[in-house]
Amino acid sequence: MMKLLRRTLIAAAAATPWLALAAANVDAPAPAFTAATADGKTVNLADFKGKTVVLEWTNADCPFVRKHYGSGNMQSQQKAAAAQGVVWLQVISSAPGQQGFVDGATAQKLNADRGAAPSATLLDPKGDLGRLYGAQTTPHLFVIKGDGTLAYKGGIDSIASSNQGDIAKAEPYVTEALAAVAAGRKVEKASTRPYGCSVKYAS
Amino acid sequence: MLPILRLALPALLAAPLLGLAAPPEASTEHVQLRLVSSQASVAPGQRFTVALEQTIKPHWHTYWLNPGDSGQATTIDWSGAQAGAIQWPTPSIQAIGPIVNYGYEGRAALLVELTVPPDAKPGGRFQPGAEVKWLVCKDVCIPEQASLGLDLPVVAQAADAKAGPDAAQLDEWRRAIPAPAPFAVQIKPAAQGVQLSGTATGISKAYFFADTWGAVAHSAPQALKADGAGWALEIPAGDEPVAAGKPLSGVLVLTGPAGEQAWAVATTMPAGAGKGPGAADLSAPAAAPTAEPAAAPGDLGLLPALALALVGGLILNLMPCVFPVLSIKALALVREGNHKAEGLAYTAGVLGSFAALAAVLIALRAGGQQVGWGFQFHSPVFVLVVAYLLFLVGLSLSGLFEIGGGFTGVGSSLAAKQGLAGSFFTGVLAAVVATPCTAPFMGAALAFALSQPAAVMLAVFLALGLGLALPFLVLAFWPAAQRWLPRPGAWMDRFKQALAFPMYAAVVWLLWVLAQQAGPDGVALALGGLVLIAFGLWWRHASGASAVGTVAAVACVVLALGGSAWIKPVEADVRAGSSTEAYSAERLADLRAQKKPVFVNLTAAWCISCLVNERVALSRPEVKEAFTKAGVAYLKGDWTREDPKITEVLKAHGRSGVPLYLYYAPGATEAQVLPQILTPGLVIEAVSTSPAPRSST
Repeated sequence: MMKLLRRTLIAAAAATPWLALAAANVDAPAPAFTAATADGKTVNLADFKGKTVVLEWTNADCPFVRKHYGSGNMQSQQKAAAAQGVVWLQVISSAPGQQGFVDGATAQKLNADRGAAPSATLLDPKGDLGRLYGAQTTPHLFVIKGDGTLAYKGGIDSIASSNQGDIAKAEPYVTEALAAVAAGRKVEKASTRPYGCSVKYAS
Repeated sequence: MLPILRLALPALLAAPLLGLAAPPEASTEHVQLRLVSSQASVAPGQRFTVALEQTIKPHWHTYWLNPGDSGQATTIDWSGAQAGAIQWPTPSIQAIGPIVNYGYEGRAALLVELTVPPDAKPGGRFQPGAEVKWLVCKDVCIPEQASLGLDLPVVAQAADAKAGPDAAQLDEWRRAIPAPAPFAVQIKPAAQGVQLSGTATGISKAYFFADTWGAVAHSAPQALKADGAGWALEIPAGDEPVAAGKPLSGVLVLTGPAGEQAWAVATTMPAGAGKGPGAADLSAPAAAPTAEPAAAPGDLGLLPALALALVGGLILNLMPCVFPVLSIKALALVREGNHKAEGLAYTAGVLGSFAALAAVLIALRAGGQQVGWGFQFHSPVFVLVVAYLLFLVGLSLSGLFEIGGGFTGVGSSLAAKQGLAGSFFTGVLAAVVATPCTAPFMGAALAFALSQPAAVMLAVFLALGLGLALPFLVLAFWPAAQRWLPRPGAWMDRFKQALAFPMYAAVVWLLWVLAQQAGPDGVALALGGLVLIAFGLWWRHASGASAVGTVAAVACVVLALGGSAWIKPVEADVRAGSSTEAYSAERLADLRAQKKPVFVNLTAAWCISCLVNERVALSRPEVKEAFTKAGVAYLKGDWTREDPKITEVLKAHGRSGVPLYLYYAPGATEAQVLPQILTPGLVIEAVSTSPAPRSST
């Protein structure tokens, strides 16, 4: 009886939203997922075994996302990553009716217009993937190593602002994390403060 | 009307070029901004408060210092004035789905202290500018910015500067800035993060806003446990949990009998958290439910501390600096009559002294000083005065002079009174000479006391005093115990004379302490004072205790005491041997980063147990060999004179005094705290077999 009670309590504790929002931990296996892409396919994290994967939470209308796309910073990071064989996945977790929510075709058009070059764009209107990783902001970035462990989570760089002029002055955390993973080194700053707009989950 | 506008417009546009101030108000789509000055005019060098008032569109919010899971704090870049950091009013929680933000809705006033440049010209204008940037969000976020400015006339004298019409409004806003908590808040690791606790009762709601990102999970519920003994708030950790020895600060909002109140709180996670007793752990009984619901509220956590203090006081009796006092007083008891009254007088003397010490500590603590047990020995003047006092006691024991009942009259004209007054001042003397003897039990109880409200602190000190006075009290009230005392006889005089030598030895020790604090000059002054005192008392003795002799003796003592004012402290000199390095937090962090094992010894020249430990354990060849073999770096911190950095470390480990021995295994996240009494085996075992301590999270 006591055991059952304890289990119930633990289950209840696990169901609290904040725990659901803190499941992705650095050096732990990244949570497995399957998601629909903007071009109508389905991807599974396991498909990319052996490759480094970047998850980028995005919302095209968020000023902080605009900072990095407007300046070309995000596109150049995506291209540099692709050149190294890194899989770059955009994730859109905005709920229908919320800022940043788009259908697959619009998402593709947005990327074409901006010259963005992600490997794929994942559509997550229910916010399941966002909650699974604990994505809080747009942008919010995660780097997963080839062996499936999480190597980095946090902001795209060190200066939390919406000002494009700050990009050159900031420490590029994601670039540094990818360089460390490629070199087989430990990521020095593996967990940083993500900054940006809140992910527009269905509330 | 229109032509005027036409004329005015170019002037407005040209305003920045002409050195005119930016307007004090601005509005954007979502926020109206206003700079509000407490002053209508200012004087050069004057410091005054300015508020940035944000009036935010309904349902939108701006952000606090730590914006929470997303968002961005408002920033103000000042020009033309020196500005302090933003003082933030208490934020509220904005929860959007699983995301939690800290910020403001409706209206917020951020306060800043501005300083007028000292070279501002009277008759001119003071025109500071403020570039304000903020993020304002509802379901979407908009970054906005505005340029604001003030334009105030400069007057020559601060006395002539006038308060502005909004000064009262500013005062009201200032009251909305959380004040530093007037009560102690304890921190310790909890199952999923940290636990904050305190002794306030009747708390029905509590929330802690951490002021940095990552320390706590913003979106996690904070679990409050409150009972008759206080409150405890469990806060799950965020992505950058508070490590041992690291600070956690923020705003604590408590809802109690007085309504909702917000306090600025700054705590430091104990470096030895979860290991052995410490201040943080001492608070645990207060928060735990107990089987004595009938006991007075607030006393539950106090009882263990009082018991510890009582035992600590008892142990003080066995210390070499107290034992002679007790022995002699016991001898006097055998000789004289009214035991019970004398016992009570002695107890009153001890308790009075401890109460006075507690009062001084309370006053000093109120003054914001970092004080710890034995702090009075940081002062070379105090050390010298105690040395003189013990020297006088020694001379008296040697038979050079006897005032009244002998020992009890020594050292001060107050103590010269016979009988009850003599007993009282013997008690005072015992309390004074007991202070440097930090017995093992006392550290934790005192650390607890220093972190408590004044009344609790006083109670702990009185318990300590009672412990010290107890053996004497028992002897006085239970004559059966006196039967164990030896019979009076001629041997007593010889015994008394023999007891002079521990006194002289204590004087030698104090002078050695003084040498560390005041250098050779200080020692010369002290020795000169001793000669002067001896001369004065010899004169009195030689003149057959005549009135002239007595005056001469008193004059000499007063002269010696007056001379102590010339003592000058010298700069700290940590006596570092070849294998010993001076302690600094930076050096420790450096060594730990290199994954080297580190042994930290925090000591003071006046601390007997420290010296004994160094003699019997730390300087032993086998210990040194073990250190060399394990490659242990040995850091020594000197607290002979109060060093706030070391006080901080002591506090972090729940201690208010030295010694403190810490061992950091290579790569360990926290220190292993070694006992206050060391043996060579204990130290060798710690450095050779110590497993890396468990992480505190």
